[in-house]
Amino acid sequence: MQVDQTLDCKGLSCPMPIIKLAKTVKKMNSGEVLELLGTDPGSKTDVPAWCEKTGNIFLEQAEDGGTFKFYIKKK
Amino acid sequence: MFKKGELRELFDSLFAKSWPMWIGGILLAVLNILLFVIKYPWGSSSGYTNIGQNLFQLLGISSLGTNVPINLHAVALLNIFIVIGAFISSLFSREFSIKVAPAGELVKGFIGGALMAIGATVGAGCTTGGFFTGVAALSGGALALGVGFTIGTFVALRYILWEMEALPNISMGKSYTILPGTAKKTGWQRWLGWILIAAILYLVSTYTSKGSAMKIIGWHVLIALLLGMILQRSRFCIVRAFREPFMTGEATAPVAVIVSILVAVVGFTVFKYFGVGNAGELAVRAIEMKAVYANFWLRALIGGFIFGLGMTIAGGCAVGTLWRAGEGHVKLWMSALGFVIMAPISRLFIVPAVKSILPESMRKMVFLPDILGYTGAVVLVLLILLLWYIFVKWNEKTGKFSAL
Repeated sequence: MQVDQTLDCKGLSCPMPIIKLAKTVKKMNSGEVLELLGTDPGSKTDVPAWCEKTGNIFLEQAEDGGTFKFYIKKK
Repeated sequence: MFKKGELRELFDSLFAKSWPMWIGGILLAVLNILLFVIKYPWGSSSGYTNIGQNLFQLLGISSLGTNVPINLHAVALLNIFIVIGAFISSLFSREFSIKVAPAGELVKGFIGGALMAIGATVGAGCTTGGFFTGVAALSGGALALGVGFTIGTFVALRYILWEMEALPNISMGKSYTILPGTAKKTGWQRWLGWILIAAILYLVSTYTSKGSAMKIIGWHVLIALLLGMILQRSRFCIVRAFREPFMTGEATAPVAVIVSILVAVVGFTVFKYFGVGNAGELAVRAIEMKAVYANFWLRALIGGFIFGLGMTIAGGCAVGTLWRAGEGHVKLWMSALGFVIMAPISRLFIVPAVKSILPESMRKMVFLPDILGYTGAVVLVLLILLLWYIFVKWNEKTGKFSAL
């Protein structure tokens, strides 16, 4: 998967990752892919829910040693 | 016969995925009803104050101290064992790690906690004991607190959005993740969870084998353990209930809080109406006045506003701070620290000043059935919950009030 931009939200807790996600995606071009890195377990439900609500495409999520990785494609 | 795989399935169904927040809301309401009968319905801020007072006592500053030790203070114990319950639950679900946020965020956590301490002491209640429990207890002040929380949350959210643009460095910088539960060789974390559960059950048994006051404390420890686990699994969050309509517009959290209050309203009203709940020691009137404080209306509004600012900046209310602290968010450790340090200070210096300024008519103890009768009071609370529900669902569709 080609990642166009990475947003580091490690260490941040709710609501900072979602606010940063919304602000970042707003500045991206349609079709670009964002990789969000985070450590808040809440993001596992918050990020897909935000994508569904805003119409952006939630591609997949992965986990690596305590860091969650989310891939989002801007609509 | 029961197979090992089936036990595993049960464990996974509880700890592999988050629970819907409204399920958490119903379970929390049921435990809140139990707390009502055992002693007093669920609250949190007075527990922070007690812990802070014990800290000052330990430091030799007895003017800010207390002679009630933590291990005899039911609410302080609720707070502590909610943290431990959430810690155990996050170990079981492999969601624990020590999550060290960038320095700016840690400072925000501390300031948010301190503001919550001021708000809770000035307003005579936090989101849990004052609002969530208070609305269900048919308290007039609880409604004023709700208005204060809404305004405070709205203002603080504008600040956070501004901060993100103007001072982005506050939420950037070095962060650390220590002991993540999903890393290799972390099987010991689940075993630690089981050991802690065994230790807590042993502790409860030592309390319940003593006199009736100690039995009450023992049951608080047990219920707190369950509260902490339910909170962590369902990520039940009252900050979100107030904030989300103005942020993403999602209605999940407000609906969960509404459902939870609905359940508690039924239980509390029955007990208040019939005078049930520790009836041997308390007069019926004392039972009716459970979770009703002398804060209607301006006192609650001011306190609620300050608390709303704090909980939004910290990213967790009094209880939200506890379960996130148990999950390992260091920002919320700082929030808890700010809360316990500031609460005794505010209680001694700020609250008397506020009381001397506000006329008594603006800080009254209002039990709604005294004015509207039980039927009128319950109908009013149901109407407010219904309007709140209609607003958040309409806003979820239209996004009229949402910033993101």
